[in-house]
Parts: sequence; structure tokens; C-alpha cells
Amino acid sequence: MLSLSIATRFLRKSPVQSILIAAGIAVGIGVQVFLGSLIISLQSSLVQQTIGHSPQVVVAAASDGRPVAYTAALRRVLTAQPQITTVVPQRSFSAIYRSGGVSAPLQVVGGDLARLDTIYDLSGRLSAGSARLGPGAILIGKDLAARYGLAPGSRFPLVLPDGTTTDLTVAGVFDFGSTAANAGTAFVGSSLAASVLRYGPDQYSSIGAQLHSVFASKTVAASLAAAPALHGLKVSEWQAQNADLLSALKSQSASSYMIQFFVLVAVALGIASTLAISAVQKTRQVGILKAMGMRDGETGRIFLWQALLLGLAGAAAGVAVGLGLIGVFTLVGRHNAALFPIHPQVSFTLLSFLVGVLVAAASSLISARRTSRLDPIEVIQNA
Amino acid sequence: MPDRLLEVSGLGKTYGDVVRTVALQDVTFDLQRGEFVSVIGQSGSGKSTLLNLIGLLDTPTAGRIALAGEDVTAASRGRRGALRNELIGFVFQFHHLLPEFSVLDNVLMPGRIAGLRASLLLPRAEEALGLLGLEELRDKSANDLSGGQKQRVAIARALMNRPALILADEPTGNLDSENTKAVYELFRRFNRELGTAFVIVTHDRSVAQQTDRILEVQDGRLLQDVANGYLGAADGSAAGTASASSAATISPVSGMSLMP
Repeated sequence: MLSLSIATRFLRKSPVQSILIAAGIAVGIGVQVFLGSLIISLQSSLVQQTIGHSPQVVVAAASDGRPVAYTAALRRVLTAQPQITTVVPQRSFSAIYRSGGVSAPLQVVGGDLARLDTIYDLSGRLSAGSARLGPGAILIGKDLAARYGLAPGSRFPLVLPDGTTTDLTVAGVFDFGSTAANAGTAFVGSSLAASVLRYGPDQYSSIGAQLHSVFASKTVAASLAAAPALHGLKVSEWQAQNADLLSALKSQSASSYMIQFFVLVAVALGIASTLAISAVQKTRQVGILKAMGMRDGETGRIFLWQALLLGLAGAAAGVAVGLGLIGVFTLVGRHNAALFPIHPQVSFTLLSFLVGVLVAAASSLISARRTSRLDPIEVIQNA
Repeated sequence: MPDRLLEVSGLGKTYGDVVRTVALQDVTFDLQRGEFVSVIGQSGSGKSTLLNLIGLLDTPTAGRIALAGEDVTAASRGRRGALRNELIGFVFQFHHLLPEFSVLDNVLMPGRIAGLRASLLLPRAEEALGLLGLEELRDKSANDLSGGQKQRVAIARALMNRPALILADEPTGNLDSENTKAVYELFRRFNRELGTAFVIVTHDRSVAQQTDRILEVQDGRLLQDVANGYLGAADGSAAGTASASSAATISPVSGMSLMP
């Protein structure tokens, strides 16, 4: 293709100009890739911290305090949902730790350790003791343990909802990474909770589920609510209960899109102005080519090709710059616990690359149009 | 193939809408295939305008032009471009080479624009370079040449598509007398051996004397159209609208072999 080979020659013969434009695109796309990956990772980190270790969809009785019968039909409906990764029936109640004049309110969750682990990862987040939920055993949080000087093996008197006190033993201490959870939550075995709540073998206070994609919770909840097996039950999901977090995430996305948009505008203006200058510089050459019979469209394509080539090279370098920045951030993050991990976003990076190339191509339109319209006589006469 | 290559009748060009400047008016002449013609006139007489019009670089405001039997007076830009590429070779005073390209690439360019097949491109360009003694310069940048070399490259480029007509606007305006002589010898040789018609714009009467026919332009009008009995015209195609007046001798160049 003649216009492509002329475009390549023009670029090669102005190496500094070409490198500067490509570098401009590279910086723009590099910022895009880094910023996009940063925001996406930040959001997923926030979401993970907030709801990663809790049920994202919860099925409970329509009226508070009533048990849910975890029937085979209900189990089938839940496991048939492709989005649901794990289902954890649990028995929860409020209780008070009271010892020697001090007391602390607790939300106690009862369930099978293996099941509970699929959501709460108790075994993996134990900081002391062992993960056991046998009769008389309780797992408590790090902050509660520290506040009252409790350790594995300590006596743990618990005042139950009916006012009676039962003596339990601390089996292990977990760390959920959140003071509220570490101070206010405790776990006991399923049968202990059943006897506290006076529930039968199939009765639970709620059935929690986790999903592949946390943002699918609305659809999953709606679909569950419509199932006949859940008639009379209440389905809730995390998004409805975390409106503040969601609106924060949305504002963050919006500001990120704004920044990315203006970065792209700056890149486009940079390319457009440099190409316009280049088109003026090459007016004579274009006039000569047209005098020799090159068609208007073909001469216009010279500048389109130049922009495309610069866009390809610049966007590719930009992806490298972006990934490099992510690497540096990750390296720094390793020594700084306050930073969250950034994961390169493959599809976002590809999109940024494509957008970079398209923006570059679009920026050439002014030059291409100008070139197409040039009459060779203007050049020949003014030689 | 009609012998008449170019028909120009009542041709005129006026610039400007408010302040009108008449550059050319009522010019009528025909050009046969293989003719070797010069256009002479003072600076600003309209000879370059005439060349640009018959070269389809510019459009007339009056009259009619037909090239190879086709009325091109109101042809589209695209059509005019295609005809320029196919039928016309240009040699300008300022060479108008593409500085980003090598000598070979410059010569190849009209062929590449025409979309000549690859097997034809390089042999043709090499032949044109050979005819002009430019073989050793083929890979040099067009920017690194002397004025005479540049003009020879421009001539090789004009020959690339084997045009029926070569238009040369003051082709030796920037050359010394030795290079000037060499360029006109080449023109004459291609005229004779390839049958290419030449229209050479010059203000130098001694140059014009070496052509077969002289068109003299003055104040935008064709003042006279006279035959010039050039002795060396091999095919006898020199037009004879007027009496032969002078002769010039150019030694024939030997060893030329032209591709089909």
C-alpha cells in the first residue's frame, strides 16, 4: 500500500517528532492503564474487605426471630443457582460475655466449622488456639480476647437470650482484620446454637450464600425471591445494605472516568496538533504526489497511517509503561501494609490500547482532510 | 491511436473574482504525438499558466482542452489526476523531488501511483536511471544531489510511466550551460526514440531554437505558432505550420535499448 509506505517513510525521516508523539500517547495510555487498574483493584479490594468474608445473599424468615426450615427443596433451589459458590446455614443469636463485673455484647454465630470456613475462613484466620467448634467451645475475636485478657483455654461465661448463663471455653482466637468484627462476633458449634435457640435439626436463623461475582447479588436475590420454595421467606443481599459503600464506589468510578477522559482528550489534542504541523510541513510533498496523479483519498490516508502507526507504537509503549507503574506500585506495596495490591486488568488494558489507537486515528482526521483538499497547483505555483 | 494528442481551443484563465487578472486568453493550438515544442515568452506572459492548464494541474476559466481524444475541460480532480499519471510526465524548474526518498524511490513513485505490477516497476525505473546515467546514485537521498543530478532524476521520474507527453517548465532554469545542454540532448533523444511529445516552457530563445515548433505567448495570448526546421527529427513528425528557420545539431546517444 503506497500511502502506508509513504507514511512510514515520513515518520522515519522525522524521528524526533515521531518519538515525541509516540511518547505522548505512551504517557497518556500508561496513565490510563495504571489508573484504571488501580481503581478497579482498589474497588475490588474494598469490596473484598467489606463483604468478602460474609454472606452476600441471605435467606431468612420473613419475621424476625422465626427459624428458616432448611428443606431439601430450599437446598436444591440454592445449589441450582450457578452464581452461588457456597451455602452456609447458620444459627445466630445475641448474647453477653459477663465476667467479674465486666460485660460485652456479642453476636454469636453457630454452624459447622467446615461450612463456616467457606465464608469466614475461621481456620485460616486463627491467631491463637485451634479451630474447634465442639460442645462447650467458642471461637472469639482478637480484640475481645485482648480487652479481657482471654486466651485459648480461658473460661468464657456467656449470658444467653433467656437470661441463663452457660460456661464455655475459648478454643481459639481469630483475626478478621476489623476491630468491630474482632470485638463483637463469636462462633459456636451448630448444636449448641440449636439448643440455645430451641431449634429443630433443620431449623436455622438464616441461610447465607456467597457468589462468584459479588455484584450479581441483586439478580440472584431477585431470582431466589421468585422461587416457590422460598415462599414466605425474606431474601436480602449486600448491595441493598451497603448503599453508602456502593455510592462511594460509583463516585470513585465516575472521577476515574473523568480523569481518563481528560487524559485521552489531552492525548488526542497533542497528536492532532503535531500531525497538523506535520501535514503543513509535508504540503509540498503532498502537492508533488498529487501532481503525479496520486488520488486525494490516498494522500489523506498517508496521515491516517501515520497516526495509526504512532498510535500502535505509542499505545503499546503506554501499556508497557502502565504495567511498569503497576509493578513499581506492587513492589512498594510489599513493604507497606497500608497499600493494597494492584492487579493488571487484562481487558481494561486491551481496551486502553484500542482506545489509544482509535484516538490517534481520529486525531489524524483534520490533517487527512486538509491534505485531501490540497490542490497540487497551489504547491507547483508557489514553488 | 489518433495522432492528435492535445487539442486546445479558446483556452483562457482568469484569476480572482473581484479584482480579475487575465493570465491567459483565447489560446488555440493542437499538439501531435511525438512533437517537440517549446513555449516562449516573457516572465508573466502566461506560459506557465498554459503549461499548468494543459498539464491538467489547473482548470481553465474559458475554452476547451482535449487530451488523447478525451475532453478534460471539466474533468473531475480524480480523473485529471489519473490522466496526469498515465499520460503526462512533469519536469519542473525546482525538480520537486521528494526529499524523504532515495533517487530510485523518486523514480519509482509515478509507477507505484499507477499501480504498475512489481515485475515491471523495478526494471523500468532501473532503465530510466540507466538512460540518465544515474545508476550509481540510485540509493542516494534525493537531498544529497547537485542541481543537475536532481534535474536528471526528475526527468527519469517523468519517463517512468512512459507518458505520451512530457511538460517541462523552465527545466534548465537553475542549471549551468553544460547541464542545460545535457538535459536538452536527453529530451531530444527520448522524443526521437520513445516518440514522447515534449512541451518545454522557456524564456531562453536559444533553447527554443532547438525545438521543432515554437509557441510564443505574450500578455496571455498566443502571439505566434511557428515550425522550426529541426534537422534531427528522426520520425519527421515535426509540425510544419510555418517555415523552417533554424537548425541545431545534437550528437545522437548510442547504446540505448528501450524496454517495450
